Amino acid sequence: MAILEVRNLKKNFGDTQVLKGVGFTLEKGEVLAVIGSSGSGKTTLLRCLNFLETPDCGEIIVNGETLFNSDSRSSKSDVEIRKKRLHFGLVFQSFNLFPQYTLLKNVSLAVELLARERGDYKQNKSEILREIGASAREILERVGLSDKLDAYPFQLSGGQQQRVAIARALALKPEILCFDEPTSALDPELTGEVLKVIRGLKSSERTMIVVTHEMEFARNVADKVIFMADGLIEEEGTAEEVFDRPKSQRTKAFFTNYKKS
Amino acid sequence: MSFQTVTRMLLGGFAENGFIFIMTLLMALPLGLVITFGSMSSVRPVKWLTRTFVWIIRGTPLMLQLFVVMYVPGLLFDVQMPDHMFGIPVNPRMYSALIAFVINYAAYISEIYRGGIESIPKGQYEAGQVLGMTRGQIFFKVVLMQVVKRIIPPMGNEIITLVKDTSLARVIAVQEILWIAEEFTAKGIIWPLFYTGVYFLVFCGILTLLFGYIEKKLNYYRG
Repeated sequence: MAILEVRNLKKNFGDTQVLKGVGFTLEKGEVLAVIGSSGSGKTTLLRCLNFLETPDCGEIIVNGETLFNSDSRSSKSDVEIRKKRLHFGLVFQSFNLFPQYTLLKNVSLAVELLARERGDYKQNKSEILREIGASAREILERVGLSDKLDAYPFQLSGGQQQRVAIARALALKPEILCFDEPTSALDPELTGEVLKVIRGLKSSERTMIVVTHEMEFARNVADKVIFMADGLIEEEGTAEEVFDRPKSQRTKAFFTNYKKS
Repeated sequence: MSFQTVTRMLLGGFAENGFIFIMTLLMALPLGLVITFGSMSSVRPVKWLTRTFVWIIRGTPLMLQLFVVMYVPGLLFDVQMPDHMFGIPVNPRMYSALIAFVINYAAYISEIYRGGIESIPKGQYEAGQVLGMTRGQIFFKVVLMQVVKRIIPPMGNEIITLVKDTSLARVIAVQEILWIAEEFTAKGIIWPLFYTGVYFLVFCGILTLLFGYIEKKLNYYRG
């Protein structure tokens, strides 16, 4: 069974149709790269999956559980949406770290807040917090920042900040981790370190969706590539199919323009 | 009239100013936040009512507001202000003064809060949402500290203005420092009037240092 199934997703902003019926499936452990020019709806797609936008139409199914269906008026309470969000993680283009907290706290804060809802939180508080702290350290180590646990975000380079943001998203162990142009706000010499971390996350357990303009990265890491144009999926397939043998004229034109620039 | 006697009597008057100052802050700081939520409400009537209220309060002189609170309850409703506060006997006019000051300052302070809250980038809220935080957690754990840091300079400004505005209470016969000093001039002694400036300068000087200290404390991070 597919871990993620998206059906006929549509989203309008006023009169502008940003998504015009997007659907795809993703298997567990797959990495999906979403490419396409600006304004094609890539970011809106990720924002819908993370419930930052409510789609006007369509269905989102994770592990067979329907999280969103525009036909049924499921409750839109804060609590419900919060639960659904936790299936997904999102790394933003602009990092959005919490400036007033250390790196360690940036990574552990949300997990700590979530732990408060556990039944045994009061009895085992200190132990739970110790565990959360330890796993936050471990995650920061994995993104190569174990020597900066007590630093604040402003003391870091953009690449380091984005690595913290990845660690922060990982801490909640989402089933599907999304990246919204994770390297677009970075200086070219810093994109490598972030892409390396993302590549290192690839495993049979982790499903990822990466919206990116880094074509080499998409080609090397993605199991599946989607090319979006004007709010629709213009072409999809394996990396080889989309990059080496594109069928659609628009995809071909996109790559031609991309190589020129 | 000896220097010491004048100093002591003016200090007695300045205690009234200090009382208005403290009480106004204690009540206007929380009330301001309530007004902020009103003026940022997604319920339109609430939003527009609150904004109209803020417009009226900021758009009329504080002195006029003092007169209104002083005279209107008595003239229209025959209400007398009580003559004690927490069991301590006070000038009933102090009530009128405090009501006017609290409402006036809450309106200004609410706008400072609003500016602070609206200056926090949307991405901070979204990061909290994506991490599964509740609205309350996002406000208290993510946004609030950043708002506090950003509003310290305008809040310092407003609070220092309040110190000096307290002497406006004299127009409804609260016997604050300028009132006392004027009584000296009636007796032909003018220097105590100018001497009052020292009280305000010292008090505002202390506040300036305090705010500088808080700003420095919050400077451990940027953004």
